[in-house]
Amino acid sequence: MDLGLKGKTALVTGAGSQIGFGKATALLLAKEGCEAVAVTDVNLEDAEKTAGAIRKLGCKSIAVKADITSPAEVASMVKKVIAEYGKIHILCNVAGGIIHKDNIPIDEQDPAVWEKQLKLNLVGTMNVSRAVVPTMRAQKYGVIVNIGSGSTHQYAMGVGTYAMSKYAIDLFTKQLAFVEGKSGIRVNCVAPGPAPTNFGAILREDMPDPPTEEMKKMRAAMLGSFPLGRMGTAADIANATVLLASDVTSYITGQVIHVSGGSVI
Amino acid sequence: MDLGFKGKVALLTGAGSQIGFGKAIALLLAREGCDAVAITDINLDYAKLTAEAVKALGCKSLAVKADVTDKDQVQGMVKKVVDEYGKIDILVNVAGAILGGGPLEEQKQDLWDREIGLNLYGTMITSQAVLPYMHKQGSGVIVNIGSGSTRMYSHGVSTYAMAKGAVDTFTKQMAIAEAKNNIRVNCVAPGPSPTNFIKAPNKQTVIDMLAKQIPMGRGATPDDIANATVFFASDVSGYVTGQVLHVSGGSVLD
Repeated sequence: MDLGLKGKTALVTGAGSQIGFGKATALLLAKEGCEAVAVTDVNLEDAEKTAGAIRKLGCKSIAVKADITSPAEVASMVKKVIAEYGKIHILCNVAGGIIHKDNIPIDEQDPAVWEKQLKLNLVGTMNVSRAVVPTMRAQKYGVIVNIGSGSTHQYAMGVGTYAMSKYAIDLFTKQLAFVEGKSGIRVNCVAPGPAPTNFGAILREDMPDPPTEEMKKMRAAMLGSFPLGRMGTAADIANATVLLASDVTSYITGQVIHVSGGSVI
Repeated sequence: MDLGFKGKVALLTGAGSQIGFGKAIALLLAREGCDAVAITDINLDYAKLTAEAVKALGCKSLAVKADVTDKDQVQGMVKKVVDEYGKIDILVNVAGAILGGGPLEEQKQDLWDREIGLNLYGTMITSQAVLPYMHKQGSGVIVNIGSGSTRMYSHGVSTYAMAKGAVDTFTKQMAIAEAKNNIRVNCVAPGPSPTNFIKAPNKQTVIDMLAKQIPMGRGATPDDIANATVFFASDVSGYVTGQVLHVSGGSVLD
């Protein structure tokens, strides 16, 4: 199926991690015919690696450093991308992090961490969207895909500010979709289940630290919990994200699609 | 993007209408490389027209008559398809219709029964008939057609919307029950579209009127629905199950 991405310029945030959803999405956008895929990350060296991998596929790419929690850094990053490519058709808001771990009783949680967590995932996504929307409006065309999380519906994991920040992204997706529908901008959200990225370190074969007995038990329990019998992969998330970024889904807006093997229904 | 349909056999119900979602989905599955796309409808003449259009794309096809509310007819139809092609990899449950409406006190219970029988039981009966074959081959994909009406309360108390709401729940329950058998079940919920579900003679006029309330300013096209359905039917969505995706231009957000 031709996804109609020829001639399109995309911007992917949080695309530095070499095992994350951002890089997988950026590479798939390139493979499917985008003319340019700009990548941004708080870590420029990592972003450069992803940009290099994109260029190897014959697609234009630049890496720009930006901390998405800083409106000024975001504005200058977006300006740089537009100066280079003249437009942004597709924005994939992948940047985020788990600062506040789930499974901590509320009285042991630090309000300063709540603020940091909400600022990174929610306000960060809002900052980048805010910087890109005027360009999309002027083009009368734009597609935004936010990365949500299955944790929004997995209450057993505990009171997690991470889950709450991602649930707020679901709402941001719907509200922005409603408001910008008539400007020709679509906004959707892909909500991944646990995957072996930096977020789901416990699922990785090459877990950075030697796992404790408790971690091993948790890993086994998680692996046994997926209805489809396996954990998600970055490719699963990239497939859904690129589909939503393409004109194949030109009548879909304001939707959250869970790519979690049936963990969230 | 290669959707991996090479060698796959699909079965579509309610694919007779020449302006409906079923035909658009059947043609897209054929174009994207399915080996065979079998067509069923209560109206055999219409099903044959779709089958011919599928064959014109170089894909195998077969038209079989079946009333999806009749278990015996459905089981016979499914057997005929399996006899012909050896398996069914993809089932798309499109058959359905809007039969009634109006204020609750004027509604007749026999119409409720027929509306739920067609939209909910029809989907269940067809899935029930196909499942044993999917179990035998160790894989399968089912895509149900839901409806945006499940979330548009201003349209009134409609049995159609309730039946489609039950199709959403059926999708989720089947997804969990069948995940271990490597069968995925998802649902595409369309917004208003100029198909036979709109009874007025000038369907597009009705859609254009409705479109004023739609954030994206237009109604759905059969192609919009076919694209989403084919995504769920393909291995590209291999980790997606139990989901209801609204293809309604932002009409349904929650």
